[in-house]
Amino acid sequence: MINAYILINLEPGNTDKIIEEMRKIEDIAKISVVAGEYDVVVRAQVKSLDKLLKVTDKIQMIPGISKTTTQVIEKEITS
Amino acid sequence: MRIKIRKRYLFYVLAFSSAIIAAIASGIDSISQIHITDPWALGVACFVLGVIVSLIFAVILSIKIKDKTLGAKTVDPTFRGIRLITKKELPYHIIAGFGNAILTIGYFLLLSIMGGDVSVVLPFSQVVILYLVIIESFNDKDTPTLVEIQSAIIITFGAILGSIGLKGSIDLISLAIVFLVINPGWVLFSIYQRKLKMMKIKDYPNDAINIRLWNVIFACISTAVIVLVYDILNNSSHLIAGLIASVQNYFWVALIAVFTFFNFIFYIRALGIGKASVTQAVKASIIVFSIPVSIILGFFGIISPLSTDPVTILLKVMGTTLIMLGIISYALTLTKAYVFIKMKPGFTIEDTMKKLWAIKGVNRVTAVAGNYDYILKIRTRTLIKGYERILLKVQEIPGIKEYKWQSVLKEWEDI
Repeated sequence: MINAYILINLEPGNTDKIIEEMRKIEDIAKISVVAGEYDVVVRAQVKSLDKLLKVTDKIQMIPGISKTTTQVIEKEITS
Repeated sequence: MRIKIRKRYLFYVLAFSSAIIAAIASGIDSISQIHITDPWALGVACFVLGVIVSLIFAVILSIKIKDKTLGAKTVDPTFRGIRLITKKELPYHIIAGFGNAILTIGYFLLLSIMGGDVSVVLPFSQVVILYLVIIESFNDKDTPTLVEIQSAIIITFGAILGSIGLKGSIDLISLAIVFLVINPGWVLFSIYQRKLKMMKIKDYPNDAINIRLWNVIFACISTAVIVLVYDILNNSSHLIAGLIASVQNYFWVALIAVFTFFNFIFYIRALGIGKASVTQAVKASIIVFSIPVSIILGFFGIISPLSTDPVTILLKVMGTTLIMLGIISYALTLTKAYVFIKMKPGFTIEDTMKKLWAIKGVNRVTAVAGNYDYILKIRTRTLIKGYERILLKVQEIPGIKEYKWQSVLKEWEDI
């Protein structure tokens, strides 16, 4: 299983609609609307890098997304 | 296709569902006490039939429809079928089962000492919320904040006020049983069930149905042993009476077992999302939900009708208001954030991750490939605490070149 964070910048004005679209994407485990340099942080959980590419593709196809930055998780400690 | 929802909503839905089902189960409990007057025997019968009922439901819920089990489609999405426990789970199940057994036995002891009227001392079992807050402050990575302690105290006193009876008396022995037997039993029961729920079994999340099934089995064994020892020491025969009662009065006891099964499935699922203390606090809303159950039972003459004494009504209103206020203040004060970190070269991942993980309030440390080197997930009750206890500590770690704090405003999760 490959996990990744996708950091997203949005064009102003359509956040609710964009989130609605993202909630329908199958391999997304978590969507956080954040305040700071990025607007949304998405956690994707996929079986292969190929699938990760498809998820980022689907996100980029949503109107109102201006930039995505993908960070593939190499190691994790969690409670 | 599953759609992502807000985790906080699911937590409250699960905890409130558990409280509602538990309120109905306690109503049936009152009816059963008419049929089985020996409280020890009732306890044994509850566990014996609890095992049978849980096993039947676990088997039914294991039936596969297309690629998923019936249980996964209805009560717990992580359920993949009934299974044996793993070696890793065994000690946790023994402790949680023992906790369940001693809290139940403590309750029976109380019943036998107080001649059935436990309405004055039993409300003090709500103090378990405070026990959990204290224990979590030692165990978890998140020290309780003033808001958490305040909410816990408000809910605890609310629950005591809301459920206290004005008849009967308080003596030291009965209070000692509540504080030294029942409450520690609850602590073991809830903390170890939470640990089980957080476990991964063969890379999959542990499910509530198997946890509940095995908890009842271990609690049944522990109870049988404890009651047997008590019988031998006192020359009594509660164990045999319990076994006979489980056959003679199977209907009401099995009905309790059915409701208790689903009550704990939702409770264990809630434990997998929130802290044990917060889950327990939300579950204290049982006091509110048990009011309509008491009215119905009173209407049918099964228990004495609800008191119209203004002092009792005032206490109940004050208690329920405090519970609700406490729960709301818990819900509104959790803050989450991400911290994105860039490192200078020359510092090992292992060492830095360990140092980041050691900071209280850090919920997740992730080493990533991309623009950043680490992403932290933070949970804190206040932004001040986030700054003083987390950000200042992050800055002290050698090798950190740059960090960015991103507060989470709203979150959806696939659960």
